[in-house]
Amino acid sequence: MNKNIKKQRARRYIIGFISVFLLIAGIFIHVSVGSSSIGITDVIKALFQPDNSKQTTVIQTLRLPRAVLAALIGASLAVAGALMQAITRNSLASPQVFGVNAGASLAIVVATILFPELHSKTTVYFAFLGSALGGITVYLFAAGGKVTHIKLALAGMAVHLFLSSLTQGVIVLNEDATDVLYWLVGSINGKNWSHVLILLPWSVFGLLAAFIMGRSISILVLGENMATGLGEKVQWIRLVSGVIVIILAGSSVAVAGPIGFIGLMVPHIARKLVGGDYQRILPFSALLGGILLIYADILSRFIAYPFESPVGIVTALIGAPFFLYLARKGRNIKQ
Amino acid sequence: MNAKKHPYGILSVLLIILVMIAFISLGIGAVYTSPVEVFTNLIGKSQSNHFILFNYRIPRMLLAVIVGASLAVSGAILQGILKNPLASPDVIGVTKGSGLFAVAVLIIFPGASMVALPFSAFLGAAVIAIALMLFSYTQSTKTHSLALIGVALGAICQAGIQYFMIKFPDNVNTTLLWLTGSLWGRGWNEMWFLIPCLILIPLIIIFISKLDILNLGDEMAVGLGERIKYVRYTLLSISVILTGASVAVVGSIGFIGLISPHIGRRLVGSRSKFLLPVSALIGALFLLLADTVGRGVVPPIEIPSGIVTAIIGAPYFLYLLRREQKNK
Repeated sequence: MNKNIKKQRARRYIIGFISVFLLIAGIFIHVSVGSSSIGITDVIKALFQPDNSKQTTVIQTLRLPRAVLAALIGASLAVAGALMQAITRNSLASPQVFGVNAGASLAIVVATILFPELHSKTTVYFAFLGSALGGITVYLFAAGGKVTHIKLALAGMAVHLFLSSLTQGVIVLNEDATDVLYWLVGSINGKNWSHVLILLPWSVFGLLAAFIMGRSISILVLGENMATGLGEKVQWIRLVSGVIVIILAGSSVAVAGPIGFIGLMVPHIARKLVGGDYQRILPFSALLGGILLIYADILSRFIAYPFESPVGIVTALIGAPFFLYLARKGRNIKQ
Repeated sequence: MNAKKHPYGILSVLLIILVMIAFISLGIGAVYTSPVEVFTNLIGKSQSNHFILFNYRIPRMLLAVIVGASLAVSGAILQGILKNPLASPDVIGVTKGSGLFAVAVLIIFPGASMVALPFSAFLGAAVIAIALMLFSYTQSTKTHSLALIGVALGAICQAGIQYFMIKFPDNVNTTLLWLTGSLWGRGWNEMWFLIPCLILIPLIIIFISKLDILNLGDEMAVGLGERIKYVRYTLLSISVILTGASVAVVGSIGFIGLISPHIGRRLVGSRSKFLLPVSALIGALFLLLADTVGRGVVPPIEIPSGIVTAIIGAPYFLYLLRREQKNK
């Protein structure tokens, strides 16, 4: 028995080690790939011995912030998804399925059209408002816990359709708003350090808060009665988790647009790798989410080379089949 | 409910309302025409707005009615065979499929759009439907997974649509207008694509009144054996044809297929014999209203009908969700 636990712990360390390695390797590849390829040695040089060469400038001002953003957004969305799956006890819950992303998108599109001079720091608050609106709508529907996966997915889909058709309408009626389209797919192309600075405080705060909540959430997942018995305030945990989800997902959408499926996929992978304890699932989700989005962003540059595709398309192409797999698996368990 | 005892009464009331709205709708637009004037024009006593009426508004009104009815019937069928009150062509990805194919054609061959667009939209709906069947056919007759598979396929199509729009930004406004769904600029030419709907809707209503297939419980269905599976797939195909034709003409208008059957069920109960025709009328009414409102609120600017249906449809849908919750 003791040996088994040791074995599991060793396994987790190995997984953790591999993930960190993948993340760092991903950042290096991410920084070196692009319209002009920069060799790994040059990348290392530009990072640790910056000089005034062109390569250093490209890496320092364009590529590095983009890589950092990818990691942050991936982590934020993945943790948001993990929290949602925990508090609704529904394996299909995620910022996208719950209309959180669509709500934030609508709020941002409306805000940028009504107040064109708005600074992107302020749009974050609109994103929070929108994501709260979309999320709460679907959450109210799913909160009872008796809702089947299918009903939840359909309800989320309907809210998503509603919000996105409003967004489309706003764009159609304002012909100069077509710039927003690129953003609407979810893309981190052309972002710089100022975007990182907008996102950083929110996601660091959100991620840390989520990690601290890990223990309470693990207990909540055991069941409401059990959690109450163990002295946890169930409603309070739910509320705080909800706020964290809105902060993480809203700020990500405000910066990069609605990038889908990360929040759906990553928590499942994390659960498979490190077991059911949310104290471990949440940090691992953050790590894996960062890795996934970085590699997806690398891929996005090759889909229509030399043209850059939005990374949201890549995550959708990976994520939709995963969603299918989940749908099938969920059914097998029921039978 | 008392009203459920008088399905024929409800049918005729709906029909009368539809005709009235149609008259009002004919008068509304950039050039306002009063219902009386519309009437005198129609019976040939006056020629004042003859051109506008016969070349623009009448075909558009007819299109709205037929498309609305098709989407509603399609939704009613889907909700029946999937045993899921939240299913509809837009939710399970069929609309997205035709959207993807149509956008591809709009963008890759901008010249050929008027003829090729409907066919490609139709093809897209069919491809998604076939994929749905293939995925679910290997499994049991259980229809639950169909909805989820549809949601996933819809997401893939959505990614494709976005890829095209980003890669070819020149035509993006036409595409967007079409994706939101609008009857703007549609006329007699598009009527051809709706002929399948005109044939299929009466046929399905007659067929269903003989056998209340949509309400068969699973036990009953198992008793009937393999044949029920084929009947269901036939119904699914019909629903896809109706959706494909509609999307081909007006683009992807949401919420009609989702909501009309619900209103119908409240009015006449769930016997398909009455549910289908009542849903069809409600769908027609819904789209006609949406188009009229979109045209009349801020003329000469037109709000796409898809937005109007979403604004009316979504709150009603949320109300439905809450009611469902309470019933449990």
